Amino acid sequence: MQIQVVTFSETKDGNAPDEWQDGASGGVAGDATGLARFIVVDGATGSFDPVRWVDQLVTSFVPPPGPRGAGHAGPRLEPAAMRAWFAQMQDQWAADVPAFDSIIEERKFREVGSFATFLGFEITGLAGPDPRWRAVALGDTVLFHVRADRLIATFPPMRPGDFGSRPAGVHTMRSSLDGMTERLLAGDGVLADGDFLFAATDAMAEWILRAAGRDEAKVWQTLAGLVHPDVFARLVSDQRKEQDAAKRMKNDDVTLMRLRMLADQPSFVLACR
Amino acid sequence: MYERDISRRDPGCVVFLLDRSDSMKQTWGNSRETMAEGAARALNETLLELLFTSQGEPGKARHYFDVGIFGYGLRPVAGGEGVEPAFGGKLAGQPLVALPDLRDNPIAVRETPSVDVGAPPSRVPVWVEPVYGHRTPMCQAVAVAGAHVYEWASAHPDSFPPIIINITDGMVTDSPYEGAGLDEWAQRLVNIQTSDGPALLFNIFLTPAGSANPVMFPATDRGLPAPGPDLFRISSLLPPPMVANAHSTGIPVEPGARGFGFNADAYNLVRFLEVGTKVDVRD
Repeated sequence: MQIQVVTFSETKDGNAPDEWQDGASGGVAGDATGLARFIVVDGATGSFDPVRWVDQLVTSFVPPPGPRGAGHAGPRLEPAAMRAWFAQMQDQWAADVPAFDSIIEERKFREVGSFATFLGFEITGLAGPDPRWRAVALGDTVLFHVRADRLIATFPPMRPGDFGSRPAGVHTMRSSLDGMTERLLAGDGVLADGDFLFAATDAMAEWILRAAGRDEAKVWQTLAGLVHPDVFARLVSDQRKEQDAAKRMKNDDVTLMRLRMLADQPSFVLACR
Repeated sequence: MYERDISRRDPGCVVFLLDRSDSMKQTWGNSRETMAEGAARALNETLLELLFTSQGEPGKARHYFDVGIFGYGLRPVAGGEGVEPAFGGKLAGQPLVALPDLRDNPIAVRETPSVDVGAPPSRVPVWVEPVYGHRTPMCQAVAVAGAHVYEWASAHPDSFPPIIINITDGMVTDSPYEGAGLDEWAQRLVNIQTSDGPALLFNIFLTPAGSANPVMFPATDRGLPAPGPDLFRISSLLPPPMVANAHSTGIPVEPGARGFGFNADAYNLVRFLEVGTKVDVRD
């Protein structure tokens, strides 16, 4: 089976593009394992330098090709391995002390630290008859498994009213390690030809759930049909301006990773610049 | 109402009214500090927390809030009794200060012993110092602060409504002031509004050593001695975001809870300020 992957993102309205504090990465391993691995994270605005923390998590979970990722494979999606990875990430963060330009900055680094919601998942068995997804998560970045325009799994199992301002997540402070380990959720599912996986940060995920509650087929067809970043940007812009508050998308960084499962190679590839 | 997130485009406003009357010289609870020292310390901690929120990227602070502190009682700059902005140093005399300016202009950074054995001293920025003297011109404080809050709300019509927190240990001594009592001045203050709702007025009454149990965010003034009922009556209902803050701080609140604390010690003052000043930021 093949995977066709595309990631769309938009910054909060009013922010500069370089202030996007989400992160997303992934792909099929370049070996014979038939393993693909993905991560989507959402850095917290109120935390210390979330862009740096998000970059650290993304590049460690899905090591980039080339020298920067050489010798690393990312953590296994098991509780003990994930705990060890969280601790390793915290150690790396604490060891790389930046230059501070004020006492406020220094104290925030040491006492508050940084924070991001986290969704990591992998797809196994791509070369066999029984491909599966397996995921771990902390917080409200959500994976949707869709088949024939029907939602068959939501991970973590969120409802529209579950999105709040204090989600779980990956924290830089060692004092939070036990709590992160306890709150880490795991889920899995079986994939079939034509299935979609959508991974979305909170504002997008909440909007998806609300929209799916009104007309499920329409929202999945809309998201499956996104063919260009400009189309995604227009969708987000329109939904942020929606008059009906119950339908409106929150003004936040939004990220949507779409994976389409294909039995064969895609008939064409559209490259966007 | 009270649904708007704080952002750089629509910043928030937090104003503290700080009792600097003579009675604030009393020792607070079983601590060794006066109420004036404890209140100043709690305010400096709260300002630091607000600055933590604004300090995202290294090297710059985001303008999420304008902050004011108005001292009433002793006026250390102008002298005598009255009301004046309580910031010291380069910010002296400024009624409202943007967070980036606050970040860059503490009066001092002092070392205080860490509560953790063996840990190095904590370095604490200071923006307001403890002083006390004279009586308690609370009406004038509401009037002076209200004028600045009104200007601010006019300039930020779509922001989260202004939050005003009054920290006092005494009975108002200037009611009526310019023909209006404390109730009337408080009503004028909460008549100021943005498109997200009326301004919020919270009150916390401090108690010196040996006093009764504290009451936090009550839904009734039943059983409170003076001036509890008067301060309860002029305190705003806690809006949903602050009810959530109270719950996350471990303070149970009932429906109809007001932004009011009575017989507070130092610990409860810090918690009260935390509940009253934490608002979600978005960009």
